[in-house]
Amino acid sequence: MFSGVKPDKKSKVKGITQLGSRSSSSSSSHSSNSNTTRSNSSSGSGGSSSSSSSNKGGGRKSHSGSSSGSSSGSGSPPAGTPPHTQMASHESLNSESKSSSLNSKLGHESGGSPSPPKSACSSTSTTSTDHHHTNHQVSHVLTATSKMTVRDGSRTLRPDEPPLVPGEQLEGTAREVTYLCPYVGPKKGTLSVTNYRLIFRSPETDPPFELEVPLGVVSRIEKVGGANTSRGENSYGIEIFCKDIRNLRFAHKQNDSQYSMHLKRDMNISVFRRYRVRHNFAGYGASQTSEENHSRRMVTEKLLHYAFPASHKLPFFAFGYCEQYPENGWSVYEPIAELKRQGLPTESWRITRINEQYELCETYPAVWAVPAAASDNDLRNVAAFRSRGRIPVLSWIHPESQATITRCAQPLVGVSGKRSRDDEAYIQHIMDANAQSHKIFIMDARPSVNAVANKAKGGGYESEDAYQNAEVQFLDIHNIHVMRESLRKLQEVCYPHIDNSHWLSNLEATHWLDHIRCVLSGALRIADKVESHKTSVVVHCSDGWDRTAQLTALSMLMLDGYYRTIPGFAVLLEKEWLSFGHKFAQRVGHGDDRHQDADRSPVFLQFVDCVWQILKQFPHAFQFTEDMLITILDHLYSCLFGTFLYNSERERIEKEVKTKTISLWSLILSNKADFENPLYSSNTKHHVLFPRTSMRHLCLWDKYYCRWNPSMRQQEPVHIRYKELLHVKEQLEKHVDELRKELAARQTHDSPRVASAIV
Amino acid sequence: MNSHRKSTPSARFTTYIDFEERPIDVPEETNVDEEKIEPQLLPGEIMIARANNVLKFAPLKANRTGISGTLFVTNFKVSFVTSLPVEAKEREMHSKSLQNRFLGVHDVCLSEVDMVNQFSEDNTKKKRLLYNAQMPPRLSGLQLVLKSLRVINFSFKFTPTGEDIRVAQALLHHAFPTSIDHLFLSCGYPPSSPGIPDFCRAVDWEHELQRTRCPNWRVSKHNEFFNLCASLPTVLVVPRDLLDAQLEQAAQHFQGTRPPVWCWGTPAGAALVRMAQISPSITDKQQENRMMGLVHRCHPMRLQPKIFDLDQILPSLKEIQISYIKLRELHTPDDPTQFWEQDRHYFSRLESSRWLSHISKCLEVAQNAATAILHQNSSVILQDATGCDLSAVISSLVQLLLDPHMRTIRGFHCLIQKEWVALGHPFTKRLGHTRNQLEEQSPVWLLFLDCVYQVSLQHHTALEFTSEYLVALWHAAHCSLHSSFMFNSVNAKYSASDVLQRENPQQPIYLRPVWSWWAEDKSIIENEQNGSDEEPLDSKISAREAFLNVHYIQKLFKSLAISGAVRRISDPLSSAYHTWQHIDCLMGETRQLPYDPSTPIVPLQLDGSLRLDISLSNLRPWLGCFCAWLSEPAMLTLNDSESLLKDSSPASHHWSHIHEMYNTMKDLLSQSLANGAAQ
Repeated sequence: MFSGVKPDKKSKVKGITQLGSRSSSSSSSHSSNSNTTRSNSSSGSGGSSSSSSSNKGGGRKSHSGSSSGSSSGSGSPPAGTPPHTQMASHESLNSESKSSSLNSKLGHESGGSPSPPKSACSSTSTTSTDHHHTNHQVSHVLTATSKMTVRDGSRTLRPDEPPLVPGEQLEGTAREVTYLCPYVGPKKGTLSVTNYRLIFRSPETDPPFELEVPLGVVSRIEKVGGANTSRGENSYGIEIFCKDIRNLRFAHKQNDSQYSMHLKRDMNISVFRRYRVRHNFAGYGASQTSEENHSRRMVTEKLLHYAFPASHKLPFFAFGYCEQYPENGWSVYEPIAELKRQGLPTESWRITRINEQYELCETYPAVWAVPAAASDNDLRNVAAFRSRGRIPVLSWIHPESQATITRCAQPLVGVSGKRSRDDEAYIQHIMDANAQSHKIFIMDARPSVNAVANKAKGGGYESEDAYQNAEVQFLDIHNIHVMRESLRKLQEVCYPHIDNSHWLSNLEATHWLDHIRCVLSGALRIADKVESHKTSVVVHCSDGWDRTAQLTALSMLMLDGYYRTIPGFAVLLEKEWLSFGHKFAQRVGHGDDRHQDADRSPVFLQFVDCVWQILKQFPHAFQFTEDMLITILDHLYSCLFGTFLYNSERERIEKEVKTKTISLWSLILSNKADFENPLYSSNTKHHVLFPRTSMRHLCLWDKYYCRWNPSMRQQEPVHIRYKELLHVKEQLEKHVDELRKELAARQTHDSPRVASAIV
Repeated sequence: MNSHRKSTPSARFTTYIDFEERPIDVPEETNVDEEKIEPQLLPGEIMIARANNVLKFAPLKANRTGISGTLFVTNFKVSFVTSLPVEAKEREMHSKSLQNRFLGVHDVCLSEVDMVNQFSEDNTKKKRLLYNAQMPPRLSGLQLVLKSLRVINFSFKFTPTGEDIRVAQALLHHAFPTSIDHLFLSCGYPPSSPGIPDFCRAVDWEHELQRTRCPNWRVSKHNEFFNLCASLPTVLVVPRDLLDAQLEQAAQHFQGTRPPVWCWGTPAGAALVRMAQISPSITDKQQENRMMGLVHRCHPMRLQPKIFDLDQILPSLKEIQISYIKLRELHTPDDPTQFWEQDRHYFSRLESSRWLSHISKCLEVAQNAATAILHQNSSVILQDATGCDLSAVISSLVQLLLDPHMRTIRGFHCLIQKEWVALGHPFTKRLGHTRNQLEEQSPVWLLFLDCVYQVSLQHHTALEFTSEYLVALWHAAHCSLHSSFMFNSVNAKYSASDVLQRENPQQPIYLRPVWSWWAEDKSIIENEQNGSDEEPLDSKISAREAFLNVHYIQKLFKSLAISGAVRRISDPLSSAYHTWQHIDCLMGETRQLPYDPSTPIVPLQLDGSLRLDISLSNLRPWLGCFCAWLSEPAMLTLNDSESLLKDSSPASHHWSHIHEMYNTMKDLLSQSLANGAAQ
C-alpha cells in the first residue's frame, strides 16, 4: 500500500515558517478547508464575517469549553503541549528511524514555529474583520456542508456530533486521528464519516479546526503504511485524493486501544477489499483480529462505501437529501419557453418533438429547434449521417440578423469520403434561414490533424466541395485526455506547495491557460462571425458534447446578456450542457471508484474557468459573482443535488431525478442575494462581450485552484469593496438625515444655544 | 505603387493604398490647406523639419490602417498633425498623462524616443538608425520605439521626396543630444507652485526632522556650494555629534564623495541612513567605521544599526537593465505574428526576464529593513555603490511601508522629491536622456514604481493614488519639460539652467517640476489657443479620478460614517474635521492640488507596517505599464459596433457614490453653516 503513495517530500520548511511569520492576511487556510468556500463567499456577504467575529469574541467561551471537554474525553495531551511533541515522544519508544519518515519531518517543521496553527486558523476571521460593518447579513453559505455549521456562538457543538444536513446520517467516528495539513502541520482530532461527507474536527486550536469534505469529491482513497510494518510518526493512515485539487492525509494511531466507534447501524461489514464491491454486506467477520488498526479500517470502509455509491449500486446522496428550498430550481429551464424567448418559432425555424422518446438521438433533448425547411424525414436521414445521431440543432439565434449557432457531432465521412445529400441540403437550409449571408461557417473545434485522424474511425469533417458556400475552420482545441493531463499538471504546480522560483514557467508548462485561451478564442471567433458578419455558424467536434458545448455556451454568453444573469446562466447550463448530453457522470465520475477511467476530464471546469476569465474582464456585465461559479463547481462533485448526475436528459428522466432530488438551482435561486454581483449594470444586457484572449490577459483562477493554499494571496474582489461602500453610504446618509432634522427642529424652536453647540 | 505617389503635396486623399494593396479605411480628410498646418509651438520651441502626407499607423494593426497627416520635428517633440479623429486609446492615454498640458495627443517628446528604426522598401525588414547613421536616399517608413514601451510607425509612401530624410535627420539629431542642456527644458511659462518642498532648503529638512521627531540629527549646510559632494543637495542631515570638518574629511573616503545622510527616522530614534561604498582606491575602512559609529551613537538607546549592503543582496544595475531589455522586447512586438508568438510563451519569458524576481528581492529587503526599524527599533544603514540608486529604492519603500504620510499623494511627492530628486538619483544616466553613458542606463526608477505597484495591489486601500498614477510618473520621466526626472542631481539642474540662461539671456528660464500638473488648471497649449474647446475640464476631472484611489477615499468616508462623527465634523479639534478636510481637498473642485501647501505638519505616527507578500506567485506583471500602449491585435474582424461592450473601469460605480456622499456632506455643512450664521 505504501508504495502506492507518493510521499510528499516536497513540503518546504520555508513555506511553513513563512506562514507562521505572516500576519496572515491571506484569506483561506487549510484550517477551514471546505469552509474556505464559505469564507470566500461570505466574506463578501459579511454574514459570516460577523459570525466569525463573534466567534473571536463571544464564541471563544463556548469553544474553550468544548475543547477542554474533548481533550479530557479523548485522553489527548494536556493543553499547551504541542501535538507533535507528544507524538514524537510516543514514537521514540518504538521507532529507531523516525527521522526517515516524512511526517516526522512535518511535525518537526511545525515545531520550529509554534505559532502557525493559530495564525492560520484565525486567518479566516482576520480577513473578514474589514467587513463586519456591512449589513448584508447572510447566514447562507456556499457549500451546503458548511450551510449547516452555523457557528454563531449560541450553540456549542460537541466535537463528535457534527450538525447534519437533512437526510444525512452519521456512519462512524474515529478518535485520535491526525490530519496532516500540508500548511499548518498535523492536527489531532476526531474524524467522522456520514453518508454525505467526511468531517474532521480538532479542538486543539481556538476556534476548533474543522474540515468538511463531501464524499462526492473523493477520487480515490489509499491506505498508507501498515499497522506493524510502517515506522515513523503519522506514517500509518489514509490518503484521500480529491477532485477539487487537493489531497487529504489522515494518520491513525497504531496499535490503538482506545478507538471508539459510534455506529448508528449495526456493524455488519465484512472485511472490505477495494473493488470487490459485492462482498460489501456479505458475511460478517465476528472477530476483528486483523492486524490492521480498527479505526482506520472502519473509516476506510465507510469512506469507500459512501464515496463511491455508484460502484456499490447504491443511490447517490442526492436521493436522500431533503432540504426545503423556497425556490424550485427544476423549473428554471423550460426548453420551449427558452426557444420562445429567442423568438422561435419563426418562418424558417420550427420546434419539433421528434425526439420525444429519445429514439432518434438518445443523448439529445426531447425538444429541438430545426430549420423549418427540413421535414421530419430529412431529420432522420441527417441523423444517420451524424455521429450518434447528433444532428445540427439550433442553439441560439441572433434576434436581429437571424444568424444562428447550431451544434452537432461530426459527419460520418470515413476514409472513403462518404457524402449525404440530405446532410448537405440540411446545412444549406440552415444557411438559407439567415437571409443576411450567403455563407456558412462550420467550426470544427478539433485540431485539423485530429479531424483527419477521425476519418479512420468513420468520422471526419465536412469537405468544402460537398458543402457549397460552407467554410470549415478548425479551432485547435485538444481532446479530453490532453485536458485531463493538463489539469493534473496544474494540480502538481498548485498543490500543496508552490515553487515560487519557477511559478510562471511551471504554470505555462501545464498549458492549462493555453487551452483556456484556445477555447476562449474559438468562442470569440464564433461570436464574431455571428455578430459582425451576420453569418450562421455550425459547431461540432467529434461527438459534440464536450468542446462543442464549451464553444456554443461561451459564444452565447458573449452574445446574449440574458445568459449573464443568474437564471439565464442556469438556463445556459441546463440547455447547452445538460440537455444536449454532456456526459457529466462519465467526465466527473460521480460515485465511481475507477479513478483512472479515461473518460474523466475537466471539460466543464474548463468552461467555468473561461466564464471566470470573461467575468474578470467585464466586471459589470454579469449578474453573478465568481462565488456562484465556485459553488457550481463544488456541487458538480458533491452529489448533493441531482442537477449534474447522469449523462443525458434521457437517463435523468429514467432515474426520476427531477422528482427525487433537489436541483442545484434551488439552492442558488433561493439564496440569490449571496451570488449577486453588486457591480452589475443591467444595461450591459444588450451588449456583446468580446474578451481579450491573449495569454497576458488571462490569469490563473487562484481563488479556485489555489484556494487551499494559504500562502497564495487572494485578491479581495472589488465587488466586496463596493458592497462596503454602499453600506458606508447608507450609514452616512442616516447620520446626515438625523443632523438635518435636528437643525430643522432647532430653526423652528429658534434655540441659538444648542445650534451653536453643534455647528 | 509608385504611381500612387503624388509629386506635389495634394490637398486631399480619399483612400490610401497600403503595402498589401488593401484600401485603408480612413475617413476622408477635410479640405485643409496643407501649408497652413502648423504644430502648436511653445515659446522657445522651433520647428526643424516637416514632412507632408505621412501615414501614421496604429501599432499592431499589421500596418493596415493608418491616418494621414503632417509630421513635424521640433526641438521639443515629434508632432503629428491631422484633422482626423483621435483613436479612443490614444485619447485616454493622453488624458491620463502628466504632460498633456504641453503635448498634444499625437505628440511625442523627443526624450521619449528610445530607438528609431527604418523600414526597408518592401516593409519586411527593419534596421536601427543610430544618431550618426548614414541616411539612405529614400525612407519608406520610420518606426519609433518609445521608452514608454510604445511603438509608432510612420510611412513616407506619399511623402514628397526629401522631406522624409530631413525629418529623420532632425529626429536623430535632436532626440539623442550630447548634453542634457540641449534638451528643451524650459517652455517660458512659470510653473504653478505645487507646494511640494524640494528638499534643497534647510527648512524642508528641518520640517522632516520635526515631523518624524527623530532625535540627535542636525542639518548641515556644509555642502552649500556643492564643494563637499556634487550629487547631494546643499543641505544634509547628519549626526548631531559630527562636526562639519569631520564630515568633509569623511566624505573624501566614499565613492562620489558622498557621506552618509539621514533620510528618515522614527520618534523612537531609529534612523534610516543612506550611504555609499568606500572608494575603491581607499583600503582603510576607518572612516566608514567611524561614520557607522556615529549613527550608532545617534540612537538614543545606543542600539547597533543594521547595515544592508545592497550591492550584495540586490541585483546589480546591469542585471536590472538586462531584465528591462528583455521586458521591452516582450512588449514591443513589430507585428501581430510576433505578438502571438511571444504571447504563447508570455509567462516563461516574463519569468526568464527575472524582472519580477528583482521586484521580489527589493520588497523583501525593504520589508526586512522596515521590520528592523519598527520592531527592533534599530537604525538602518542602506549602502550601495554610489548611494543613489538601489538605496533610493529601498529607502523609499521602507518609508512607504512605515509612514502613512508617504502613502498620500502629497507625501508620495515629498518622498520622491527627497529620495530621488534631492538626494541625486542620476536620472540622466539611468534613463538615457543623452547619448552619452548609455552603458550606465538602468531603469531603477521603473523598478521602484513597479514595487509600489505591487504594494498597491496587495493593499487596496493603503495608497491615496492609483497604479495609473504610477504609470503616468514613469511616462513623465521621459518628458524633458518635467525637470524632476531629467537631471543627475540638483547641482546638474542648476548648471543646466545656468547654461540655458547664458544662451538665452533675454528669456526667463523656468524649470518645471512634474508636480506642477496638479496645480495647473489649464493646458499650456490651450492657453495659446484661447482655450477653445470644452474638453480640458472633463479630461482633468477624469484624470484626477484615474489618479485618485477611490478605495482610499472610501476608507475616509467610512471613518466619517461611524456614529457621532458627522456631528463633530465642524469641530477643528476632532479627527472627523481633519478627515473631512482631507476629503474636501481631494474631491473639491475649487482647489487644484489635493493639498494646500499651508497644511500644518502632522507629526509622524507609526501605525505598524504594511505587510507584503513577496513570493513570486503573488507578484503580478504590471500590465498597466508594460502593456499600456499594447492593445491586443484583433485576430478577427471585430467591428467597432455599438453593441460591443467597452470595458470600463471597475471603479466607475464607486466614483458615482463617492461623489454623491461628498455632495450630501457638503450640503449638510453649508446648511448648518447657514443655519449657524442666521442665528
